[in-house]
Amino acid sequence: MQKGFFANIWKHRAHVVMALPAFLVLFFIMYVPMVGLVLAFKKYDYAAGLFASPWVGLENFKFLIASKGEFYTMTKNTLMYYFIFTAVGTVLNVAIAIAIDQLAFKRMAKTMQTLMIIPVFISYAAVQFIVFAFLDRNTGMINNVFGTNYRFYAKAGIGYWPLILTVVKVWKDTGYGSVLYMSVLSGIDTSLYEAADIDGANKFQQIRHITIPSLIPMVTVMLLLSVGNVMHSDTGLFYQVTRNIGQLYDKTEVIDSYVLNSILNSGNFGYTAAASLFQSVVGLLLMLFANWMVRKIEPENALF
Amino acid sequence: MQATTKKAQKLITREHKRIGPGQIILLFLVLLFTVFCFAPVLLVFISAFTDEMYIVQHGFTFFPGTHWSMNGMNSVLRYGGQLATSYAVTIGITVIGTFVGLLIMSMYAYSISRPGFRLAGFLSVFVLIPMLFNGGQLSGYIIFTSWYGLKDSLLLLILPLCVTTMNVIILRTYIANSIPGELMEAATIDGAGDYRTFFQITLPLLKPSLAAVGFMMATAYWNDWQNAQLYITSNNKKPLQLLLINIQKSIEFLLNNNNVPASVRAAMGGTIPQYSSTMATVVIVIAPIMVVYPFFQKYFVKGLTVGSVKG
Repeated sequence: MQKGFFANIWKHRAHVVMALPAFLVLFFIMYVPMVGLVLAFKKYDYAAGLFASPWVGLENFKFLIASKGEFYTMTKNTLMYYFIFTAVGTVLNVAIAIAIDQLAFKRMAKTMQTLMIIPVFISYAAVQFIVFAFLDRNTGMINNVFGTNYRFYAKAGIGYWPLILTVVKVWKDTGYGSVLYMSVLSGIDTSLYEAADIDGANKFQQIRHITIPSLIPMVTVMLLLSVGNVMHSDTGLFYQVTRNIGQLYDKTEVIDSYVLNSILNSGNFGYTAAASLFQSVVGLLLMLFANWMVRKIEPENALF
Repeated sequence: MQATTKKAQKLITREHKRIGPGQIILLFLVLLFTVFCFAPVLLVFISAFTDEMYIVQHGFTFFPGTHWSMNGMNSVLRYGGQLATSYAVTIGITVIGTFVGLLIMSMYAYSISRPGFRLAGFLSVFVLIPMLFNGGQLSGYIIFTSWYGLKDSLLLLILPLCVTTMNVIILRTYIANSIPGELMEAATIDGAGDYRTFFQITLPLLKPSLAAVGFMMATAYWNDWQNAQLYITSNNKKPLQLLLINIQKSIEFLLNNNNVPASVRAAMGGTIPQYSSTMATVVIVIAPIMVVYPFFQKYFVKGLTVGSVKG
């Protein structure tokens, strides 16, 4: 058996060689850094480095939980935005996909779709300037068009940010998000619609009884897979678009942006690592759960 | 309005016989959403060419009337050196990263889909795990900078985005579903070695999938600001996105340090056209993707579909 194994590897040595470069990149970029999570149980000492830093047991976690304020806020925001974005996003992705699919003006539909997808290719570093052009107090289009004087980028405007971020997210991702559903729709057997037509079903009945049911499996899969990313947010949205303004943190800070801030401002790496570990472990559990669910419902769409 | 309706009616008679008011309402709604998506992009282009004083006085607008100006764009182009450097850095990491990534990921995907290869199972799990569990940004930062000593290195702009689980899955699925195994077998029987089979048979057939994954990778590289902000400090390694993030600093720095002709300064009224030149920089950063993207659209629609179904 053992000999057979090595004989097999030798026979496939070319495949081993071909797999090696990507293997090494994954090892050094993804695997080795996992070691860094031990920092969650240490007090980081810049001079001593990762291993020589003293152990502090669960101190970092105790601190995180005790310092209710920030940890609680960023976890709450992470979850809140996940739910808003997922709910609004899914509904709009499906709605746009159905709308474009139903449209009889095919060529126009194609052009409109092309235009809708463009925002997904604009980095958040650039998006923040676009958002600024709408929201700035003096030069912003919203204040100028409506003759108002909102201060969106200050404490006074904090209440608007959940809405602003949702609109930006919808603007950026909906066109692209609907592509996946459109490909499902284009796979529906047209004879189903013809048969429904003959039976006297109107458009709405057709959508209700043919189109939507055929999208349900994909929607289920996408929703479940997104569960694995609950703890991760679009860092650029929360860091760049909000201009990382501290006064807005109550409504805009998520775990990812907290970690980024901590690195850039040399915050307390021990607490940050504890937050990261919390994020990674919860993410892992949710991912396993999600995949298990997908496997039960739609086995061929499970990731593993 | 009248004209629109007429045009719509013309389209109706040409394309389809049974188009009721429902279709017109639908068209209107989709059009509305398209405007919502595209108008902000248009605003960037308009503002980049709007007179600075007009923006200061009236705010950003879609309709600057006659107040067009090249000052914003000119002042950005006068960044000269730094802009060229940043462009070169971004293009460099995008091209190298995408090319290397596609090559090593497709070799990996090919290897793990070889029947009878006993390491295939292990390697499949190995590529999957990082998606489930990873160290996060902070661990990466500490390991890359203190262990690997890679602070301020372009490698940190390339390697982290080079191999991703999802892309390997997409490529493997494509190899498994769309390239007949017999083809590879036949090549082997005809005496082609393993490498030759991959490079001459598999790789060419993988093209549609490579185009889709490659375009998504290129976009990710082009738009990556996070790694740049975390790791890059020296000016000659700054990619465009970092230039954009530091824009206020950049504009002042560049205008003060480069030899801006007195005539240009006078034309700007002695002030830095910050709003229009910010937008002009955004235009310079996003335009290349927007030009390239329509050519790749059909591929990534296809690639996305393939990727969503696991083999």
